[in-house]
Amino acid sequence: MSVVLSVQNLVQHFPIAGSRSVVQAVNNVSFTVARGETLSLVGESGSGKTTVGRCILGLIDPTGGDISFHGEKIGKKHNVRSRGLRGKIQLVFQEPAESLDPRIRIGVTIGEPLRSLGEKREDRNKRVREIARRVGLSEDALYQYPAELSAGQQQRVGIARAIITDPELIVLDEPTSALDPTARAEIIDLLIRLQKELNTAYLFISHDLSTVRYLSHRVAVMYLGMIVEQGSAQDIFSRPRHPYSIGLLSSVLLPNPNLERRSEVSLQGEIPSPIDLPEGCYLASRCPFVEAECNARMPDADDIGGGHLVHCFKHRNVIDEEKATLDYFERFQEEAEKLLISGH
Amino acid sequence: MAENSAAGTILNIEGLNVSYPVYETDPVRALRGIDLKVREGEIIGLVGESGSGKTTLARSIMQLISRPGRVDSGRIEYDGRDLATLGEEELRALRGNDIAMVIPNPRTELNPLVTVGMQIANVARYHLSLPRKEAKKMAMAMLEAVQIPDPTRRFKAYPHELSGGMAQRVVMAIALICSPRFIISDDATSGLDVTVQTQVLELLQDLVQQQGASMLFITRDIGITAHYCHQVAIIYAGEIVELASTQNFFDNPQHPYSVMLLSAFSHNPKLRGLWTKVVDAALEGAAESGCYFAARCVRASDKCRAEHPDMREMTDAHSVRCHHPVER
Ligand SMILES: Nc1ncnc2c1ncn2[C@@H]1O[C@H](COP(=O)(O)OP(=O)(O)OP(=O)(O)O)[C@@H](O)[C@H]1O
Ligand SMILES: Nc1ncnc2c1ncn2[C@@H]1O[C@H](COP(=O)(O)OP(=O)(O)OP(=O)(O)O)[C@@H](O)[C@H]1O
Ligand SMILES: [Mg+2]
Ligand SMILES: [Mg+2]
Repeated sequence: MSVVLSVQNLVQHFPIAGSRSVVQAVNNVSFTVARGETLSLVGESGSGKTTVGRCILGLIDPTGGDISFHGEKIGKKHNVRSRGLRGKIQLVFQEPAESLDPRIRIGVTIGEPLRSLGEKREDRNKRVREIARRVGLSEDALYQYPAELSAGQQQRVGIARAIITDPELIVLDEPTSALDPTARAEIIDLLIRLQKELNTAYLFISHDLSTVRYLSHRVAVMYLGMIVEQGSAQDIFSRPRHPYSIGLLSSVLLPNPNLERRSEVSLQGEIPSPIDLPEGCYLASRCPFVEAECNARMPDADDIGGGHLVHCFKHRNVIDEEKATLDYFERFQEEAEKLLISGH
Repeated sequence: MAENSAAGTILNIEGLNVSYPVYETDPVRALRGIDLKVREGEIIGLVGESGSGKTTLARSIMQLISRPGRVDSGRIEYDGRDLATLGEEELRALRGNDIAMVIPNPRTELNPLVTVGMQIANVARYHLSLPRKEAKKMAMAMLEAVQIPDPTRRFKAYPHELSGGMAQRVVMAIALICSPRFIISDDATSGLDVTVQTQVLELLQDLVQQQGASMLFITRDIGITAHYCHQVAIIYAGEIVELASTQNFFDNPQHPYSVMLLSAFSHNPKLRGLWTKVVDAALEGAAESGCYFAARCVRASDKCRAEHPDMREMTDAHSVRCHHPVER
């Protein structure tokens, strides 16, 4: 598989006005995304997901580390606004309404990225109609204003605007969290279909773990600016190794009262401040497996095969404790299928 | 979760209609004939999509529908008293002492200039008429009860010094300090991260159980109701379309809208295809006669478009408002 995006040891610190301390938003993050692949970044609010996305899009200049696109470094000189790269990396936002200009007709908004690429008007209009059809927007919608569309339709516009330049990578920052369940499911289907047709790579940022389970090939779990565990979606969801991943996954409440993932690993307490991160493992203050070593230094990545990386000294003990290696999301889907097919 | 059917009714809503006038067109009918009973010690989950009327129902119970919104008809009885007959003074006492509401965005709820400990203590002073010292002691105990780490230090903290999860706990401490008998949580946990959300939900559940209180738990996340509620009520376009014990609801959801919702959460396009009808957003809400869901319903018949369905009790602890409920 050809690697589209490679991020190595990315660090992003934000200065705090009037203070010498910094917000350590991203701490030594490494991952790759291949052609046609979806890598999901999951993790709690403030864990640095959006900041990683913004670094890739060149919206901020990273404090450290390398980002390369097809092996070529992205930086101050060579970035998404440079000639060869323009339109190759696109972004879809969380709040569709906020990302669309209320005074501009939908069709114009969708064609906007082509205009900055200098395409002629007729070509642009033809392409806009073609893309609109692709994402399921009617021809009429092109002459409407954002406020006249439902939230789901607005997000289709956001996606249309992103794919119109034939990008190789799309960063999707919580594209469905503002939507009601039905609209959300439709957008997810659309994203999956488009990826199959266009072979685009997705960096999918989300809190919604059932959606992540459903559409990702690989998953990276972030905690306080670092990726604590990454691997195939199958591995992460059925055999999570890092105590934080286990805590995160067992917190998901699936709509089935009989499926409760009672985990031995319960995370207590509050998250440390990203301004004042501990010397050792960032989870140490909340982790039931903590021992002296964990407070002394941050564990390196341990490769347990198949691209499954875990940053934890104790992950072998964790797996002993966490006997339930069941993928609850899969069981939920099986049960849902039985229930919802009957009666139709 | 087993339900407590012997317990008395604490809240009884009958035929509640609430609307908001809209300039130059018909008013928005936010609630249409809501009937709902909540028993003592019971947690009832209210689930529905954006705009279905959940917050309007919560504010109606609190008697906080603000103009131009108006209650067109119906009554809300709390502990045997018709809330509409109470004066402003009585209502204020009731809101502080008996009924508490927890809402999202905890930060907007808190006064940025007062330490969180004093904000909690002030509520105790005002509503429980406690002397300053007692009130502070009680506030401290409350911070411990909602499991704020390092409560002695947090007592003196200002809201901006707290994480979202901690601020939400402070708002809960304020809501719960007077040991309310009825708690309304309006989407209160949706802004929290899942691991923190679980802690907050467990906490709410424990407090409800310990104090023998009841709770109306409003959410867009049907998954939460499966694990934390005794009963589930599904609201669509301002009316309750299905009401059942949690186990009955998830074992045998019967309203096509409920099934459509569940199919959306299943992430299975085939299942969704079975229950979802693709409709033009512009046509939605057009139906004023017949079933409000008919335009989006895969089972809709001519009868559905002509005749508005009544709520029918299908089995014990399971009612559905549908001409063609799903049978298994
Ligand atoms: N421009 C900035 N200046 C200072 N701090 C920032 C800035 N942008 C982000 N941060 C901080 O960096 C950390 C990571 O933020 P980020 O928005 O990347 O998190 P996230 O994982 O996307 O969270 P969410 O799930 O809430 O969107 C947070 O502590 C945040 O407060
Ligand atoms: N102050 C108001 N003036 C006019 N219309 C209103 C007002 N408040 C609510 N509405 C309308 O009443 C209906 C119900 O709104 P409500 O806020 O109760 O829904 P909700 O279920 O709480 O939605 P959400 O999940 O988005 O919070 C909606 O159509 C809404 O637009
Ligand atoms: Mg973000
Ligand atoms: Mg609401």
